[in-house]
Amino acid sequence: MKNIIIGQFIPGTSFLYKMDPRSKIIALMLLMVSTFILSSVSHILIMLGVVLVILKIGGIPVTRIARGLKPIMILLLFTFTFQIIFIKTGNLVFDTDLTLTYITLPIILLIVIFWYFTKRYTRFKFLYLLITVFGILTLLSLYNPGSIISSSHLEIYQDGLEGAFFIMIRLIIIVTLSTILTLTTKPTDLNLGLEKILKPLGIIRINAEEIAMIISIALRYIPTLLDEANKIMLAQASRGVDFSEGKFKDKIMQIISLLVPMFIISFKRSDDLANAMEARSFVPGKRRTRLHTLSWHNIDTSVIVFCVLVLASVITVRIML
Amino acid sequence: MNIIEIKDLSFSYQDEIQALSNVNLSVKKGEWISILGHNGSGKSTLSKLIIGLLKADSGKILVDGVILNEESVHDIRRKIGIVFQNPDNQFVGVTVEDDIAFGMENLCFQQSEIIEKIKEYSKKVDMSDYLKKEPHALSGGQKQRVAIAGILAMKTDIIIFDEATSMLDPKGRASIMEYIKEIKKAGVTVITITHDMKEAVLSDRIVILKEGRVIACGETNDILNDKETLNSSNLELLLPLKLQYLLDEANISNDKVKDILWQLSLNK
Ligand SMILES: Nc1ncnc2c1ncn2[C@@H]1O[C@H](COP(=O)(O)OP(=O)(O)OP(=O)(O)O)[C@@H](O)[C@H]1O
Ligand SMILES: [Mg+2]
Repeated sequence: MKNIIIGQFIPGTSFLYKMDPRSKIIALMLLMVSTFILSSVSHILIMLGVVLVILKIGGIPVTRIARGLKPIMILLLFTFTFQIIFIKTGNLVFDTDLTLTYITLPIILLIVIFWYFTKRYTRFKFLYLLITVFGILTLLSLYNPGSIISSSHLEIYQDGLEGAFFIMIRLIIIVTLSTILTLTTKPTDLNLGLEKILKPLGIIRINAEEIAMIISIALRYIPTLLDEANKIMLAQASRGVDFSEGKFKDKIMQIISLLVPMFIISFKRSDDLANAMEARSFVPGKRRTRLHTLSWHNIDTSVIVFCVLVLASVITVRIML
Repeated sequence: MNIIEIKDLSFSYQDEIQALSNVNLSVKKGEWISILGHNGSGKSTLSKLIIGLLKADSGKILVDGVILNEESVHDIRRKIGIVFQNPDNQFVGVTVEDDIAFGMENLCFQQSEIIEKIKEYSKKVDMSDYLKKEPHALSGGQKQRVAIAGILAMKTDIIIFDEATSMLDPKGRASIMEYIKEIKKAGVTVITITHDMKEAVLSDRIVILKEGRVIACGETNDILNDKETLNSSNLELLLPLKLQYLLDEANISNDKVKDILWQLSLNK
């Protein structure tokens, strides 16, 4: 679980690691905006190509990116289905009747139950789910003996397919870009970069330094708190609490028995920490010097210029077409 | 000249128990004073009052001639460094070097100076190989060393060590004690808080707290000879002291001890 916070960063030496976090954040913004402005499948494929080239030169393994995409699989699937089902313009590419009968209903239930109990044995859970759903759909469209319960019509149009593909690529590009940032920038540097970029917000009374301080303390304490949670869980387990089994009600009780000590420890900790910070002359909002400062190099300028050019050409294409 | 003056200081937490009552104490500039007391005697409370983290119920504190109040508290904190008891809850930085730098950053040291001081002080506490490490990868004693380095690097006029060496191994503790002697020579006022008499005997003066009251205060030698007070303080006595008290009780004079030892060595 610690990996969520600190394990993202992978050490390396490519140009991505030589860049200033500020320029990386700005470049990310520029490329994201470009991706959102693009409106045709062929253009977004070119963009995907650009991102792949960045990955290649940056020396980031594609498997790491795939891992980053995992959490948004469901979202991808959902938008994909949504697009396919609800967009009904362009050429009709696929058309079938889906019929639910008194014979197929129990078969489908059986399949679902089988899927539910066997899914834990496979490593490719997502693929297994897809195959199951696809199987059920095939069954519905091809096999319809007995009396009919309900019947519907599935039509897939070209625009729907293209739209689904387009949105999927767009999401993948955006997630990949932000994953590149977190993989190649240490949390502390990222934090410092954000602080500097958000500095102008001081005009509307948002203190970027304070926000950055809060984030860095969170970064510092989350692993410690996770350790603590582990310790408490072990202590409870040694007294007979079983965290993996039990009914819903038991689960709730177990979580409470974990949360209460966690809260008490955190309050004590934050009190002590505030004391330690004040004792070392920390005054919120007051000027302080920094151990780590950022430095802008030629590479940063060139990357930003490149990204601005990308954005400019994307805007031109959009206006021309 | 007294760098810290405490007059009639009383304090209680929310509950009614008086954590400190009518404490009077003065610390001379450049001296090393130990505050001795059993668990819960109010030592940490006193140190928090001195740097204004807690507000006294009555009495006053003067640091370098300035009364501690809401206006002066920030200036006074710049003169006092304190290493707290719990090394886990005072680690502010994401890494060791960030933590050592934190106090210096607040005091607006130049970046180059901060880098230099990190090198110097991490070496002093034997942590220079760990500068990029995160706190959860360190042992308790290592965190304590980092805390000490962070405070020393701030170069304050007064340094308070609140059981700051409790988790160090004997060698680590001895080297910190050596270092305290060194900074004392350089004119820094040192206050060590401890319940270990072995540490206290190194200091110039000793203050003994018991249940929130000062029960003794004086030159280290005088305190060590004050058998009554020491016995009533609930502290673990040093072995030589214990031996001396036992001999006194049995009415055995020093000459007689010499005789006995002599005979023992002959019989052997
Ligand atoms: N945050 C707090 N809230 C309420 N009471 C407290 C708090 N901190 C300490 N006390 C009480 O105040 C008294 C003095 O505590 P203090 O921490 O100053 O003792 P100490 O001499 O530092 O002890 P130790 O040797 O264990 O560090 C104790 O009775 C303690 O229970
Ligand atoms: Mg204490």
